[in-house]
Amino acid sequence: MSKSNAKPDRFRELKLSLQVFFSNKSAVAGLIIFLFYFFDALILQFFPQILPFKHPYQLTPNYANPIPQPPSFKHPFGTTYPGVDLLNAIIKSIRLDFWLSLEIVIPGAIIGLVVGIIATYFGGWIDEVLMRVTDIVFSIPYLVLAIAIGYVLGRTLQSMMIALILVWWPLYARYARSVTLETKELTFIEAARAAGTSNLKIMFKHILPNSLPPVFVQISLDLGTIMLTISALAFIGFLPAANLPELGYLTSLGYNYIQTAPWAMIIPGLFIVLFALAVNLMGDGFRDVIDPRRRSEL
Amino acid sequence: MIIAARNLSKFFDVKGVKNAKIRAVEDVNIEIKEGEIVGLVGESGSGKSTLGRLLIRLIEPTSGEILYNIPDKELDEFDIALKNKDDNAIKKIVDKYSITKLHGNELKKFRRNVGIVFQDPYSSLNPRLKIEDIIAEPIIETGYLKGNEAKERVLELLDEVQLPREFSYRYPHELSGGQRQRVALARGIATNPKLVILDEPTSALDVSIQAEILELLKELREKYNISMLLITHNISVVSYMADRVFVMYAGKIMEKGSKNDIIKNPEHPYTQALISAVPQIKRIKARIILKGDPPNLINPPKGCRFHPRCPVALPTCGWTADEVKPTLDYLIDTKYFTEFTNANVEIKNELELIANNVDINKLKEIINIEKENYKPLLSIKDIVQENGRVALKLYQYETPELIELENGREVECLLFSPKNKAS
Ligand SMILES: Nc1ncnc2c1ncn2[C@@H]1O[C@H](COP(=O)(O)OP(=O)(O)O)[C@@H](O)[C@H]1O
Ligand code: SF4
Ligand SMILES: [Mg+2]
Repeated sequence: MSKSNAKPDRFRELKLSLQVFFSNKSAVAGLIIFLFYFFDALILQFFPQILPFKHPYQLTPNYANPIPQPPSFKHPFGTTYPGVDLLNAIIKSIRLDFWLSLEIVIPGAIIGLVVGIIATYFGGWIDEVLMRVTDIVFSIPYLVLAIAIGYVLGRTLQSMMIALILVWWPLYARYARSVTLETKELTFIEAARAAGTSNLKIMFKHILPNSLPPVFVQISLDLGTIMLTISALAFIGFLPAANLPELGYLTSLGYNYIQTAPWAMIIPGLFIVLFALAVNLMGDGFRDVIDPRRRSEL
Repeated sequence: MIIAARNLSKFFDVKGVKNAKIRAVEDVNIEIKEGEIVGLVGESGSGKSTLGRLLIRLIEPTSGEILYNIPDKELDEFDIALKNKDDNAIKKIVDKYSITKLHGNELKKFRRNVGIVFQDPYSSLNPRLKIEDIIAEPIIETGYLKGNEAKERVLELLDEVQLPREFSYRYPHELSGGQRQRVALARGIATNPKLVILDEPTSALDVSIQAEILELLKELREKYNISMLLITHNISVVSYMADRVFVMYAGKIMEKGSKNDIIKNPEHPYTQALISAVPQIKRIKARIILKGDPPNLINPPKGCRFHPRCPVALPTCGWTADEVKPTLDYLIDTKYFTEFTNANVEIKNELELIANNVDINKLKEIINIEKENYKPLLSIKDIVQENGRVALKLYQYETPELIELENGREVECLLFSPKNKAS
């Protein structure tokens, strides 16, 4: 039995959460990979001086030897056109992909949650209108929207970000709405009403906290998809400047050498897929953590 | 009476279908005395939970009155006023006791006097809140107590439901089903209510734990004289717990009476079937097996809602042409198809059918033979030749009302109406 004190119980909750997460081996693997990307992005963004890069935010070409070279002692991942060392380039590129993914997914999730919760809270025609708008935006292909916005606002990282946020929030709005609607049907909501709790308080004290964790899981699952999307856009030439270290762009550099130097595309491509895989595994682990059944098994 | 309802109805909208209503509770009269446990029994879907929620204004009634804490004398006056349509007298009592129009602080005060416990102790406790905060919610939200006093009350309540005080800092998932239901019970009685609705409080629990919870409920009733409406489909729970029993079927109360009367001597045909289905050590009566399913509540049967399944239904229990037609079709097209050529039956109106290409005498003869086997045929009053066709006219059906028998027993069945009793 624990002491009558709130602290140990919080602590026990956290411990239980960690236990659940760490009992899922592939989620732990996902987390470790994710952390590599995270520290890479963190160091390049804030402490680039500790790395031996002269130009941390640019690719360094070597026009003396532009043809892709196979992996060797000097270039562990080989090089890509024009003479770019792939290991260096990948370390530099992760920064942009990682932060951009977060900058898209978090505002998207916040907008989506707000819209979704307002829709469930008010219901009726407000719900109807909001969900109709959501559906319309949802039906626009991201590529079309990104290109259109790039055309209007100029082909910058910002316009790409705006386009992707615009594309992504409806996903969360729909998801948040379905989660809040489901939560709303649980009997503890009815118990709260029987206790005289106001609707607004029910929304914030009961519905929101129970809807956040599944949305958080969705966010972590989505980071990978978003990075894939960013890379895809970069691959087809959506980036504003050449030489910008970005995984999709880096992959596209090897395109002309696919037959003679396959590593030039495969290796940076693998790093995009690896991230998507890692966050998926990690998200599964988070899903276990918020599942009361998995919790009570331990 | 701690609570009484008159002509209480709740019709739910059907999503996506205009003008269709689920008549979950219709025209119900009930009353619960101070300190009494009333069992509300009936099959699933008969409207028990809806009725329970209506009584404490968790959902708004479509029509009818709910009177809280009304002295018996004034309830009698109210019934007389309803009968005489004496609007002034009705209004006087409604203003004083009705809870259907309460709002704001008045409603909060009412919420303090009532509580509810739900069936599933897993979904009825918010997994993100500590037990302490779960039990304190009604205490704080209804303004019953604040701050440290509220905290103290939570600990008291944990004692009351026989849980260790340490549990106040736990989360629901750390507790077993039985322990959770005790927490739900503590919340239900947190503000010292006069009436608690118990909606299948033990149905989700293991049998051994069920008994403990029922025992605890009994103790709490003894100690605090709380009135309880115990909703259940389990007759043995009712027979163990209740003082009185209400039997519900398809949104209507079929029978009310003391527990002993209802269980030992059920009068209503539905109650008889319900009770006979309970395994007993000493079987007194043969088991009555009901055919068919409970009716659809969007378009419930006319007259007595039980008539399609009632083993002793009368010709006037609610039969309409759409119920008679399938039987006639079956007789003409299948069972006696050799006797007819090109015969068919159409519905003229609710109480009349037309048969084409049939010989009236043959039809009469067949109906006479088959009456015993096919209840709907009972409702055929006349068979006459009309413009070369045969018209089948049905008895005008009646809708039974609650009739008072001795000992406060009430039955809603035409067998007990004075007219049918005489014959
Ligand atoms: N909120 C609701 N909206 C629509 N229909 C409902 C709602 N609640 C109950 N019903 C319907 O009312 C009928 C009675 O349900 P309920 O009161 O839960 O019965 P019971 O508790 O006896 O099983 C059922 O047909 C059910 O589908
Ligand atoms: S009124 Fe009585 S006899 Fe008639 S159908 Fe209903 S229960 Fe049966
Ligand atoms: Mg129910």
